[in-house]
Amino acid sequence: MKKVNVMDIYKLLPKVNCKRCGYPSCMAFATKLLEREESIDKCPVIKPENKKKLLELISPPVKEVWFGNSTRRVLLGGEEVMYRYEKTFFNPTAIGIDISDNLDEEEIKKRAKDIEKFEFERTGEKLKLDFIVIRNASGDVEKFKKAIEIVENETKMPIALASLNPKVIEEALKVINSKPLIYAATKETLNDFIKILKNLKNKDAALVLSSNNIKDLRNMAAKCLANDIEDIVLEPHTYPENIAETLDYNVIIRRAAIERSDKYLGFPILNLPIKAYYYALQYGCPMEKFISKKEDAAKMFEATIAAALINRYADALILHNYDIWELMPVLTLRQAIYTDPRKPQAVEPGLYPIGNPDEYSPVILTTNFSLTFYTVTGDFEKDNVTCWLLVMDTGGKAVDVSVAGGQYNGENAKKLIEETGIADKVKHRIIILPALAASTRGDIEDKTGWTCVVGTRDSSQVGEFLRKNWDRILNEWLEKHGEKS
Amino acid sequence: MDIDKLLKILEKTGGIEINNLIIKADELIINVPTGYIKMPLTQKVKQKMAEEEIIIKEVPEMDFELPIEKYPGRIREVQFGKPKSEGGRGVVVKVGGQRALYRFEEPYPNPPVVTFDIFDIPLHNLPKPVKQYFEDVMEDPCEWAKKCVKEFEADMITIHHISTDPKIKDTSPREAAKLMEDLMQAVKVPFVIGGSGNPDKDPLVLAACAEVCEGDRCLLASANLELDYKKIVDAAMKYDHNVLAWSIMDPNMAKELNRKLISAGLDPNRIVMDPTTCALGYGIEFSINAMTRLRLSGLKGDELVNMPMSSGTTNANGAREAWMKKEEWGPREYRLPLWEITTGLTMLLSGVDMFMMLNPIAVKTLKEIGRTLTSKFGDVKVKLNNYDWIIA
Repeated sequence: MKKVNVMDIYKLLPKVNCKRCGYPSCMAFATKLLEREESIDKCPVIKPENKKKLLELISPPVKEVWFGNSTRRVLLGGEEVMYRYEKTFFNPTAIGIDISDNLDEEEIKKRAKDIEKFEFERTGEKLKLDFIVIRNASGDVEKFKKAIEIVENETKMPIALASLNPKVIEEALKVINSKPLIYAATKETLNDFIKILKNLKNKDAALVLSSNNIKDLRNMAAKCLANDIEDIVLEPHTYPENIAETLDYNVIIRRAAIERSDKYLGFPILNLPIKAYYYALQYGCPMEKFISKKEDAAKMFEATIAAALINRYADALILHNYDIWELMPVLTLRQAIYTDPRKPQAVEPGLYPIGNPDEYSPVILTTNFSLTFYTVTGDFEKDNVTCWLLVMDTGGKAVDVSVAGGQYNGENAKKLIEETGIADKVKHRIIILPALAASTRGDIEDKTGWTCVVGTRDSSQVGEFLRKNWDRILNEWLEKHGEKS
Repeated sequence: MDIDKLLKILEKTGGIEINNLIIKADELIINVPTGYIKMPLTQKVKQKMAEEEIIIKEVPEMDFELPIEKYPGRIREVQFGKPKSEGGRGVVVKVGGQRALYRFEEPYPNPPVVTFDIFDIPLHNLPKPVKQYFEDVMEDPCEWAKKCVKEFEADMITIHHISTDPKIKDTSPREAAKLMEDLMQAVKVPFVIGGSGNPDKDPLVLAACAEVCEGDRCLLASANLELDYKKIVDAAMKYDHNVLAWSIMDPNMAKELNRKLISAGLDPNRIVMDPTTCALGYGIEFSINAMTRLRLSGLKGDELVNMPMSSGTTNANGAREAWMKKEEWGPREYRLPLWEITTGLTMLLSGVDMFMMLNPIAVKTLKEIGRTLTSKFGDVKVKLNNYDWIIA
């Protein structure tokens, strides 16, 4: 794909600097467009033919498709690169959980509420689930419609509708209030779905195209485009039998879109880890030899397949289970992969007082890797730890990595002690090191002249460690050095 | 009248009527946004439209060619162990050898290899759900190795001589070598020989172990710029072993290290790179970037980084989300293997070829999924219908 630069965009703008877009000049606006931080709709004076050209120029090779309602939207796709180190991945893989319309009203309510409430907090970010998939397990249109009504009344969650029957979807579209994702049109039913979507009045929907043949998927997408249906999501089949095959499908689709500018495959990808769960229950999985509860082994397999797919361009996933232990690794992986690689992962080194430390409070040495910093300060806050936290510049590396890499060392510690003036703030000369940095103790004592005490392996244990040991450590030091507290 | 004002009015009212309008201009362009014009539909018209069949535009069927790349380079293949015919102990394990990035371009020639971590002294601080598998054999590294091979399908064994650390037991290189001899008797699989991480002691320990394992193509773990790597290189070349080159999440650093090892006399076909595996949630994205870039450079033909890669996947067990007892997070006997699986799988899909692992559940899962990479594209026996979940 050829790289677009800011001049390419500027040339197509009116160049009048009218400021009505909210920016001081057309050039400033062009920069924002390039960074995808603004929409071209903000320019009221652009010529229609230029707008069209500009949209073609700046649209990502993978179209951004959305579904949901006025409160919550799911954004899928919008990707521009194959590898995260090149730039960044844009829209994190959306995760949806299914609800069967065979459940009774109370069960549907509870499951829907649980999915909406689900939350796992990590490094100050609340990781959540993104949508609910209502599936027509009953085959009964009325039950399906009822389930949609319940979910819409109980939650603000974006909804996907799952049924292969166009007639059922057509009826469901009459009652739903938001823009749903429809799962799924196959080669056989595509014409029916196109008709339904063309017939929609004052309503909108995104359509999943499903096939295990990429050539068919591509032809189906081309037909949709010819019929003005552009909100498309591709679903190459998910094979728990051999996940490498599905991973390949995803790569083929994404590479065609990004590296070969294939507009018929330039759409978000949906995969189905939910199949892995049912597959494991029926045919087994690698974990079941060790896990006595078959259902739990199946959940582990579902998480494993989800993780593999997140590593290979899945823009949306449907899962069945939402146990916290199962989703923790999946959501953590998503957070890691979709972090902007251009953003620094470090906090400012220096001295951070935690609580209200005084001249006899402990001094603890950690690194400036932001994840370490936020984990440590979060734990200290929860456990009411009072201390002086020295944050060393390890180039944004974690404790174990910087110990191994040599950034967590005596020289750096010495520099930090001098720069922060911690010696004037406390009457002792004791530094508590994380257990992972135990091997640096000698070096730090040599270079700084401070006494090092090896603390705990994890910051969550520091509170207890200090309550049990700090007074003794402090008094021993003070006695040895002829001071009394 | 200002055109903008006129448009504003139009937006709100949906229609205006202008009387006695005279426009004097050379050229007049009126852009009327299509949305503003509505055709009044009578009941009759509406009915007629509904009855009309919507016509679907057909498109001619297009062919599709798989986007297969041509790679000027290839990944070197490194061999561990030796066949009996060459005087070895009979088990041969190979890693690397890829000529393409993805399986649909060309299946992996070798499945990923798992080498089980064992230690020369009991490791009592392992979390219980992992320790339970080894508790009965921890006192005896030979029994430990046997169990990993027999019960947990270890392709190789990584022995960490951690007791050689002067701060632990200061075990002598000779004693470490003695243990190597016993281990070679206990199991047939090839070995990764690890030190304690002490930069002064490790070269001595690795050299002593390399000597007693002469000709068995072990992996000496590891060489880096912080220690006397020349000694390790010499031992590898003299006694016929491979070397793990350990760098820290930086492709340039990995390349520089390889360059130095090669100029110190190491055959580049004896190098496995370890660009450092950060645990899931603890910087794994840096590892992803480093591994991906190294693998791409290798396939593009950079002969200094086209070596197979290894991952210290065991690091995943250090993540608090994995080992910590915390009721809100559910059972840790599930979290621990899942953390190792997810970390390993992510490294696998970033190009890693061999995995140092600890948890038998994670090992089994990674091996099964890893094996699928050697299968042929399009060759899947599907058991489960793609749409059964809808009606489950």
